[in-house]
Amino acid sequence: MNEMKKTAIILNVNRETYDLVSYPNRTLLEVLRDDLRLTGAKEGCGEGVCGACTVLIDGTPVRSCLTLAVAVQGKEITTIEGLSLGEKLHPVQEAFVNHHAIQCGFCSPGMILTSYALLEENPNPTEKEIRRALSGNVCRCTGYAKIVEAVKSLAEEGK
Amino acid sequence: MEDFSYIGKDMKRIDAACKATGEALFASDLNLPRMLVGKILRSPHAHARIVAIDPSKAEKLPGVKAVVTAKDMCGDKWGVFKYTQDQQFLPTEKVRYVGEEVAAVAAVDEDTALEALSLIDVSYEVLPAVYTIEDALAPDAPQLHDVYPSNINVHVVIDVGDVEKGFAESHLVREDTFTAPEDSYFQGEPYAVAAQFDHAGNLEIWMPNAGPHLKAKPLSNVLKIPLNKVRVRKITIGGAFGGRSEISPADVICAFLAKKAQRPVKIVYTREENTVCTRQAHSMVTKIKTGVDKEGRVVARDITCHMDGGAYSSTGPIATSVPFLCMEQAYRMENVRYNGYRILTNKPIRGMFRTHGRGFACGVDIQLDMIGEALGIDPLTMRLRNARQAGDTTPTKSYVASCGLTETIEKTGKKSRWTEKFGKLPPYHGIGIGCNSVQTGFPMGIRGGSQAFIKLNEDGGVTVITGIVDNGQGNDHMIVQIAAEELGLTPDDVQLITADTEVTPSDPGSYSMCETFIGGNAVRLAAQDVRKKLFKIAAAEFGVGEQDLSAKNRKIFVTHNPQQTMSIAKAVRIALSRNESISGEGSYWPNVDGKREWVKNPYGQLSEAFSFGTVICEVKVDPETGQVEVLEVTASQDVGYALNPKVIEGQFEGGVAMGGQGGMLTEYLQWHEGRVLTPTQLGYLLPLAIDMPKINNIIVETIDPNGPYGAKEAGMSVAMSAAQAYCGAISNAVGVYFHEYPITPDKILKAIEEKKKRERKG
Amino acid sequence: MRLPPFQYLEPADMEEALSLISTHKERVRIMAGGTDLVNRMRLRLIEPAFVMDIGKLRNLEGIDAGDTETVIGANTRLKEIAGAPLINKRLTAIAEAAFQVASPTITHMATVGGNLLQNTRCLYYDQSGMVLDGLEPCYKRGGTVCLAVKGSKRCFSVYQGDLAPALLAFDARCVLEKKGSTRTVSLTELFTGNGITPFTIGADELLTKVILPQPKGIYSSAYRKLRLRGSVDYPLASAAALVSVADDRKTTTCRVVVGAAGAAPKVIDRVPWEADFGGIAQKAYDQAEGVDNLPMPGAYRRKMVSVLAKRAVQAAFAGIKEGM
Repeated sequence: MNEMKKTAIILNVNRETYDLVSYPNRTLLEVLRDDLRLTGAKEGCGEGVCGACTVLIDGTPVRSCLTLAVAVQGKEITTIEGLSLGEKLHPVQEAFVNHHAIQCGFCSPGMILTSYALLEENPNPTEKEIRRALSGNVCRCTGYAKIVEAVKSLAEEGK
Repeated sequence: MEDFSYIGKDMKRIDAACKATGEALFASDLNLPRMLVGKILRSPHAHARIVAIDPSKAEKLPGVKAVVTAKDMCGDKWGVFKYTQDQQFLPTEKVRYVGEEVAAVAAVDEDTALEALSLIDVSYEVLPAVYTIEDALAPDAPQLHDVYPSNINVHVVIDVGDVEKGFAESHLVREDTFTAPEDSYFQGEPYAVAAQFDHAGNLEIWMPNAGPHLKAKPLSNVLKIPLNKVRVRKITIGGAFGGRSEISPADVICAFLAKKAQRPVKIVYTREENTVCTRQAHSMVTKIKTGVDKEGRVVARDITCHMDGGAYSSTGPIATSVPFLCMEQAYRMENVRYNGYRILTNKPIRGMFRTHGRGFACGVDIQLDMIGEALGIDPLTMRLRNARQAGDTTPTKSYVASCGLTETIEKTGKKSRWTEKFGKLPPYHGIGIGCNSVQTGFPMGIRGGSQAFIKLNEDGGVTVITGIVDNGQGNDHMIVQIAAEELGLTPDDVQLITADTEVTPSDPGSYSMCETFIGGNAVRLAAQDVRKKLFKIAAAEFGVGEQDLSAKNRKIFVTHNPQQTMSIAKAVRIALSRNESISGEGSYWPNVDGKREWVKNPYGQLSEAFSFGTVICEVKVDPETGQVEVLEVTASQDVGYALNPKVIEGQFEGGVAMGGQGGMLTEYLQWHEGRVLTPTQLGYLLPLAIDMPKINNIIVETIDPNGPYGAKEAGMSVAMSAAQAYCGAISNAVGVYFHEYPITPDKILKAIEEKKKRERKG
Repeated sequence: MRLPPFQYLEPADMEEALSLISTHKERVRIMAGGTDLVNRMRLRLIEPAFVMDIGKLRNLEGIDAGDTETVIGANTRLKEIAGAPLINKRLTAIAEAAFQVASPTITHMATVGGNLLQNTRCLYYDQSGMVLDGLEPCYKRGGTVCLAVKGSKRCFSVYQGDLAPALLAFDARCVLEKKGSTRTVSLTELFTGNGITPFTIGADELLTKVILPQPKGIYSSAYRKLRLRGSVDYPLASAAALVSVADDRKTTTCRVVVGAAGAAPKVIDRVPWEADFGGIAQKAYDQAEGVDNLPMPGAYRRKMVSVLAKRAVQAAFAGIKEGM
């Protein structure tokens, strides 16, 4: 077995700084869930396909299950827990709730963050663009129809 | 229908916000004090005798707090039914599939747990294995279990009327065989279980499930503790689709580890483990012989189905029967025979999957299309002519009180412009139809009923206590809608304690499509019980009869003189001030034939109500690559009554994705003997947002006489009819009727090439 | 599953990076985006002693468009390639290929170098112990059998990278740096065609740039990919085509590169021009191989290579007509 020592890992998550000491082989997903108890990001597949582990790094959606925690120091990490505005839901979360875009909820944090990032980059996406942007987030429950409607509703309103 | 406040309305689900924020906790999210990581050692062999297990090196590894092997358990065999008791939670004699549990550890972290697994010495004597139905049935095949000769686990026989006479009298008879390999559940959430014991020997356990009460009893049996010491807790569940119904070895193993370690233990499955070591769907070979009269009405039908059940029974008798039952509910036929065989092989265990046999369902429907073509009758008309009607009795003797199948066929046909399109589309452009039906539960003996309690607070708020479980489909919300409506409260006033076996009374569970019908009725009755008591108080205060009162918006008022009003809170306080405790109770036991049994007596009232649905699908096929583009799908179902239309639409849309888009185009497991080669999301292809077509939803309501507000079920039927519609559409597009599913591009290309060859010759 | 243990190296500059790989050689794995490496570690396909993160070496990013060539840094993210107007205009097939890699979120993370140097794949190789424990190790794992093709004397793993066929269509060259020296080779030389060790890159070498010579005259290109779903999946078959018209506006030359058709993409150069593209399809089919070691039967995938070759050429040709 290869050698490995713990190392300092300083993470900026949801505008808070966390001083950790951990092993370099830990993924960002593990650290978020096990050390910081931010369990919104989920492990659905372990190989970067399903999108349940999606978090934002400097605003860009990434697969936290394929990201080493030690490699994202100094970056701004946003998890689903960092999206809501105090006691109020973020408009993207609100839209998902209002449009019945959530059934079992396992894919929802990843789906919502990806949708948020899409709208930040492209405030008025077409349905085709929405479906493509969400094509890396797998949902087994909804058939995606109401998820697309929820995101569309934000596009039309101009958010 | 009455003017309801919440029933029938598109209300936001009460559990949506906490899922949107990531607060909702799934089993793998739980963190209990001093919790250990559990890992399971699995068999690398498909069939082998366990010669010896030596865990001693693992036990000595620092950081390991418990190791369990079969020695720690009593060795009793468990089964869903008394006559299918064939599975030990940790096997003592032999392993029967690659991935079967052999031993387990609990350690301070995952690395230690994994290292400990590698230190458990297991010696096996590899035995010959069987991987196909054919091999399993061969005369000299190795037997998986002594109790199932010829590896035939279940044989369901249904014989009604005179099938041979029916064929003799038929105008046209045809026989076809349809095959489909396993599909797989791929719930969003991989399985996980957490367990802990307290000082008094009470077990608390959390896992995704479709019926906590069905988990509690086997735990009680194997741990040898009474039911009141087994608390299967409420947890947010990431989908079930039929694959999380009964006890899992992981549940028992986790409990034993927690007991031994005297610390909480959590086992989290990888995606691979979820695919291989929970449940899969059955692969099936279905031979269907159908005889019709000149008008295409089915006179006789004879079906033989062989299903590959994997290594153990699981819900074998149910899984073997449901595909047939769905069909006999959907279509009229007087003479029908069914031989359903569930065969054991050295493969992972198969359970009940939402689509319940795409080969079976699609076979029935595509054969109707083929027969229709021979008679010059289009597929939609074939469905209309054979459709179940209200007032009918099915061949296995279930009375059908409400049925809107014809309405779903007509409405779907109209919305999809069937008559304009069928037979008139350009080459490689097709349209297809599928119909099916689902029962709302089945006889479950002492666990067939649901009971609900309602606790009232002095400020008029309530807590509803029920065993109803929510797998993500919205059952918790349904309870709130019903209770708020009946009690005249707002949804905010209704809190829930659900699916917790310490507190909630028994309930059949969600896997049999009966939560709305049975559980919902119980909640309604409990709420009505409370209302009656409150109305008695208010009636006395107002000097009117109880029948003159209504309740809405937290107030009780005289219906025709709404000025006379009293808050519900006040009515509660009046009761309390009279030293009268006030609460509600309701229970519902469906009026079904308690003597009906899957194998011994498959006749009698199966459930009180049946849902019926139709899906029409339109596709385009690329003749060079065989790829399918799905243009539009129209899904319709007679749900009885839509308690929450948007929630129901969500079930339709999810059903189209699972049964149609995935089930017909891309989903199948690939194998190397007994090993799953596609256990991950990269290998097993689930539908993505970019591939889904436009879906039109048509809710049909026939207001069932017994369902709560007339509601029946909505979660399963569309998955099946979507599969059938996709099959019909692709067959129509290519001009070849497909018998093997899923209809992947290579099969389409082959069919196109062979058709061209035939046309050149002819 | 947790990743295996390793030491994390984060060189501050190229000099340090090259020095580290010179010292540790095979014991180091290079991580750029991580989308390929991390998953293979999780599956225990590789357990390197060191993981060297080059994601922060800024000089390895960027697109430099000159008159005679375009130079792409190996760390440039696929999303940037897919969206760059310049790449879409002058190197269309490359933009199309980058656009179709995996899913959008993966393209945010994945890099040109990482995509190019991905290992070959096979259903019998890219698996966890859950599937493979109890089976003999295959050739790619250092064993003596192929599990996919019984009795085979060689490895049939498939190179499924999307970018490579498009880069090869444009006659790409690769800059490989190591401590003390640099070499530039044609991309074709980078591939061995051998599924066990698919690349000729040394353990002490780092791919830093990809150079695309600017084609002359009128030309157009396209990349076509087959997968069952519209996103996420690796190609089951792929083809890139570069079609150019000579100054006389009569002579058309065509280069087709097929992918997911063996352990390396196959270049079909100077394809004879035919109105019905039948010759192209046939040549592509002849070059391709397909066995049952990926989703979809090998025979089907091989046929699709020829269909896509034809379609890529058709698309490129249509692009030229538009331009003329």
